[in-house]
Amino acid sequence: MKSAVLICKELYQSFYLIRRLSVYEIKSKNKNNYLGIAWEIINPLIFIAIYWFVFGYGIRGNTGVEGVPFLNWMMAGITIWFFVQPAVTQGSKSIFTKIKMVARMNFPTSAIPTYVIFSKLYPHLALMVIVGIYMQFTGYPVNMYYVQFPYFLFATIALVVSFVLISSTLTVLIRDIQMFIQSSIRVMLYLTPFLWTTDSLPPAIQSAMQLNPLYYLVEGYRAAYFGDGWYFIDQWEYTLYFWGTVAVFFIIGAALHVRFRRHFVDFL
Amino acid sequence: MEEGAPMEKAVIAKNVTKKYKIYESQSERLKDMLLPKSYGEEFYALRNVSFEAEKGDIIGLLGVNGSGKSTLSSILAGVVPPSDGELIKNGDSAIIAVSSGLDLKLSGRENIELKCLMLGFSKKQIKEMESDIIEFSELEAFIDQPVKSYSSGMKARLGFAVNVSIDPDILIIDEALSVGDRAFAKKSLDKMREFKEQGKTMFFVSHSISQMKEFCTKALWLEFGEKKDYGPLEEVLKDYEAFLEEYNLLSKQKKKEFREEGFRKQSRKTSEPASS
Repeated sequence: MKSAVLICKELYQSFYLIRRLSVYEIKSKNKNNYLGIAWEIINPLIFIAIYWFVFGYGIRGNTGVEGVPFLNWMMAGITIWFFVQPAVTQGSKSIFTKIKMVARMNFPTSAIPTYVIFSKLYPHLALMVIVGIYMQFTGYPVNMYYVQFPYFLFATIALVVSFVLISSTLTVLIRDIQMFIQSSIRVMLYLTPFLWTTDSLPPAIQSAMQLNPLYYLVEGYRAAYFGDGWYFIDQWEYTLYFWGTVAVFFIIGAALHVRFRRHFVDFL
Repeated sequence: MEEGAPMEKAVIAKNVTKKYKIYESQSERLKDMLLPKSYGEEFYALRNVSFEAEKGDIIGLLGVNGSGKSTLSSILAGVVPPSDGELIKNGDSAIIAVSSGLDLKLSGRENIELKCLMLGFSKKQIKEMESDIIEFSELEAFIDQPVKSYSSGMKARLGFAVNVSIDPDILIIDEALSVGDRAFAKKSLDKMREFKEQGKTMFFVSHSISQMKEFCTKALWLEFGEKKDYGPLEEVLKDYEAFLEEYNLLSKQKKKEFREEGFRKQSRKTSEPASS
């Protein structure tokens, strides 16, 4: 618990640095391509097209979900995936790959995974805007429920940062964790209703799937884009569960991180 | 600061020890991490090294390969924490090593900005320092090229330029000057002389004894991770040179025995009781 407070303070104090470093991170990642940073957007758009073709057009025969065209329904949720997936995989190996460079710098090690995650936020925001514009022209204009976006964005970041705090620390200790995360994160694409609805499943399984905190975020984004309501208030029990999970991740992650960080360099 | 150490002391090392664990297999490593019992063999890269450096001292680190010079310089720079003992530093330190943490994909200029940013400089300060650093590095047109296209000499120059410009109180130079061409080496030496006059403390790791003679005031001789001698340069160097001469005359077999004995001294099974 003490570690959690400490990490919170560190992240708050190094917020400026996290923001600045994330810009260099995104630059460094896209240096070799002619289109540069644009790939951070082009890549998800290509996947959206493929997913629409396979799941929307091929499997569902272009029928909508509860009256919403499949493409709109899918895009509203899958934007989260294009943030969570790279943020988790790259965040998890961030300490391991960058510790040498930053070992003696004037900022806490907890900022390393955080700035890598933040670097994924810029394309995410751009994608959210693009999806929003598409919604405008396809019958789902801006509505007052858009106000909950900052909340859900914050919730997404909180979840990813808390989880990656655990995984990035463990990756330094046991390199295999990175391989495990890389392959298991893919499973989340199918275990979260990004591409398919869980309506046809038995209620017990549906509830079990809701244990996945990403489920909460996806439904939240959809509620905002389609103006369905104040999801985090309507589903307040689920909101409590979500933040409970984040808190547990964060407390475990902070404790691990503080316990081992002095020796990160020794593990390389 | 205990015992009211006088301010002129730049670095005080008290029984600085660095041990690494050597494991025979991955499973041993995992067991050591998870179980309370200790597994693997301990290797002392440094053992009970104590010395004091006054402000303005320029200390050459001497010793054959594997004696712990690089480990000590990493500890002095703060890159690696000591596993035991205490290191008190009066001021900021910077290390100049051949490949000191550059992002290969970014350009030289971006690396300068990134490094300064990490060191806690503000945007305005960085803008001011940038032109000086670029000028010192002599990279000219290459400054906007990605660092991965640089030669090792260019990388060393960039690293040197950045570390010199951040104006550290304690500077650690690890073989960096052996990479650049002669003109740059001279420029670097001039810069270090300037630092010397300003009363900065420096640690110098180099195999070139002539460079050390020209430059250092004191020497610390390490052997198998332990302090063998520490004092004014001439005295230590005399003994060291005598040792080197003798060492070089040894037959291959004898040299090997010498190294093996040292290795035995440095390592110890954790299951055995600690010696002292």
